[in-house]
Amino acid sequence: MDALTIPPVDLGLIAPLLVVVTWATGLLLVDTFFIPVGRKKLTGYLAIAGLVVAGLVGLPLWGVSGSTFGGMVRLDPFALTLTWVFLLIGILSITMSLDYLPRQDIEQGEYYPLIMFAVSGMILLAQGADLIVLFLGIETLSITLYILTGFAYPRLTSEEAAMKYLVLGAFAAGFFVYGIALIFGATGSTRLSEIGAYAADRDLGDTNLTLLLGGAAMVLIAFSFKAALAPFHMWIPDVYQGSPTPVAAFMSVGTKGGALAALVRLLFEALPTLNAYWLPVLAGLTALTMVVGNLGAIAQMDVKRMLAYSSIGHAGYVMLGVMVAGEQRGPEAFIFYILVYALSNLGAFAVLIALEHQGEEAWQLDDFAGLYQRQPLLAVAMAIFMFSLAGVPPTAGFMAKFYALTAAWEGGLPWLALVGVLTSAIAAFFYLRVIIRMFMTEPEGEPAPELNRGLTIDIVVAAAGTIIIGLIPAPIFALVERSAVALGG
Amino acid sequence: MEVVVQITFGVIAVFILVAAAMVVSVRNVIHAALWLIACFFGVGALYMLLEAEFLAVVQVLIYVGAVSVLILFAIMLTRQITGEGVRQLTNRWPVVLAIATLLFATVLAPTLINQQWNVPPAPPLGTPEPIAGPAELGRGFVNEFLIQFQVVGVLLTVALIGAIVIAYEERARRRKVLTLAEELELKRLREQTSPTVPAPVEAEPVVQESRSASER
Amino acid sequence: MLNAVPLPAVLTLAAALFCIGLFGALSRRNLIGVLMGVELMLNAVNINLVAFWRYFEARYITGQTFAIFIIAVAAAEAAVGLAMVIAVYRHYVTVQADEIDRLRG
Repeated sequence: MDALTIPPVDLGLIAPLLVVVTWATGLLLVDTFFIPVGRKKLTGYLAIAGLVVAGLVGLPLWGVSGSTFGGMVRLDPFALTLTWVFLLIGILSITMSLDYLPRQDIEQGEYYPLIMFAVSGMILLAQGADLIVLFLGIETLSITLYILTGFAYPRLTSEEAAMKYLVLGAFAAGFFVYGIALIFGATGSTRLSEIGAYAADRDLGDTNLTLLLGGAAMVLIAFSFKAALAPFHMWIPDVYQGSPTPVAAFMSVGTKGGALAALVRLLFEALPTLNAYWLPVLAGLTALTMVVGNLGAIAQMDVKRMLAYSSIGHAGYVMLGVMVAGEQRGPEAFIFYILVYALSNLGAFAVLIALEHQGEEAWQLDDFAGLYQRQPLLAVAMAIFMFSLAGVPPTAGFMAKFYALTAAWEGGLPWLALVGVLTSAIAAFFYLRVIIRMFMTEPEGEPAPELNRGLTIDIVVAAAGTIIIGLIPAPIFALVERSAVALGG
Repeated sequence: MEVVVQITFGVIAVFILVAAAMVVSVRNVIHAALWLIACFFGVGALYMLLEAEFLAVVQVLIYVGAVSVLILFAIMLTRQITGEGVRQLTNRWPVVLAIATLLFATVLAPTLINQQWNVPPAPPLGTPEPIAGPAELGRGFVNEFLIQFQVVGVLLTVALIGAIVIAYEERARRRKVLTLAEELELKRLREQTSPTVPAPVEAEPVVQESRSASER
Repeated sequence: MLNAVPLPAVLTLAAALFCIGLFGALSRRNLIGVLMGVELMLNAVNINLVAFWRYFEARYITGQTFAIFIIAVAAAEAAVGLAMVIAVYRHYVTVQADEIDRLRG
């Protein structure tokens, strides 16, 4: 019986992840024993502090590339930049929850650590280099989100949304693991690099690849579920509508970022040689996603549902970058789009929260009528977010869409870029409808919505980010360019 | 010897499939849960046959011991036990059946059977084959699979907290939950008077209901 | 076992179990029934993994370890799912999936 040997583990490479998980676990205890009921906002501040610390811990890792835990997790600039984006998403979501939770009478300290755990799942998805790690990352993210979705329990629809999400999510997880099992059976390994080596050794059309492709197809279905690609998007509007608004905001950008980051890894580390098989399928899914999402949004009079459909459409634009991630522009476009989409979308959801009163939703298009006269700054901010989501210059959304579309065009998918342009034109209609309602119609005697500190900070940061990135994109371009280099494809 | 193994495998396979088919088709949910337990046992037996003894024990402990009890508890607590006279399948079940059958018959089974498996030859009889047992598994958890092991720990913590957060009684109190006696009383009342006495929910969702009703 | 039963037989059994679970998860009205279907699917995956482990690499542990991770995840999912079923039941006094549909736009 030989002694247990623990392999050399470089904890530095997973430092941000480690900080988030440890902090969240500690925060659970601190929250239970030291923070009295009614002062749970303190837990929120501590959670934000934790995410900030995790981001700072990541700073010295810039430029480092390496893997640890026997090659199971990997750190490279791509993962690190995504980690920062995910931390930012977490921080903004918590900030907008600080006043939302007490207002809805659902304040519970566990909420904030759970958001942190979800962020840790997303980071793991960006860093994973092994299918088991990716599976566990996706499950950590999903299970946390099932719980968070059901958090607005006084509202009847919240638990229904959670239940629907859980049933579909568990179902997708079944497909995911079955796919991984088949891939494992075909290649004898769960590591992305070894699967890639196996696939590279075989000619296309080799019958031995059938099983690998079958497994990959099932994994792809599961990813489509998580990232809301059509035709696996049906749950999105219901779940977003039912869940607490900050959670819907977090989910819309978080699951997309996490799941698609993992998809980039899978496609370009494990299956790059098989792209003759997956590229047409993914291109079809992407086109369908853009069309379905944007057409679906037109019919919605409920702004929260409209944003849900719009998030489906945006999943399509993010996919443009994912599919050509073998080229330099691909991962750049991916990261850039996720960052910009996070800012604009979180901002838009924050405005929704500002309009929401105690226990009453104000998400109908009519609730936005004359917002400019009631609360001019809020209306201007919402207009910025809508312009950005629609992709109107000079906002960041324009730059992001332009980037994604050119990446697809140069990457050899010009028809898909055209679909993207056309659907953006359709999308402009329903985003502008909100703006027209806010500026051109008379208010219906509603009192001015109250703005509190957390929300104001959130909206200001998001709006400023959207504008600044739109006007001076150079620094962010430089950042994403350096991040994308490592992903050789 | 080989024939014995083949027969055993056949019996186990038939047992698993029949039990699984019963799980998804019987009307009574309790019976479905009991069939599920049977199916879990069958899978455990299959692990035994495949010489994964540790996994067989884990299967019995966790699935038969924990998950099944959890499911039975949930059924008891939600008290829709017999399901007699209640449809148990949605209207779309023929479509789903067709999809599942097609998936199996045209995609999965042919792929699995036609794949050229390069199974390494079994060692000649008499020489013991090195098989990884619990000791190797344990070593793997602190070595090769350390990160996964840790993440599963986090995952279970999250699930633990989540289950408490979701089902915690205090949270339910805010929306008036009825005891069994009160509920029966209400049900009796509802049968006696009009059929439109609302379910026990507080005022706020009703507002929402009227709102969505006006939308339609 | 290795000589007596060919690998595809075990895998086909797993595939059949997976499809039965799929059918249950998609067509059961009772939410608990849906979750039972998902459990069947995950069990099918585990049979696959153990079979691959036994036939290909009995000396290594990846297959078995992965199966154990899946069991853990399945247990976590079941715990959260069933807690949610109970919470939903408190609200709606039903666990039939199609009777729980207030979310329509």
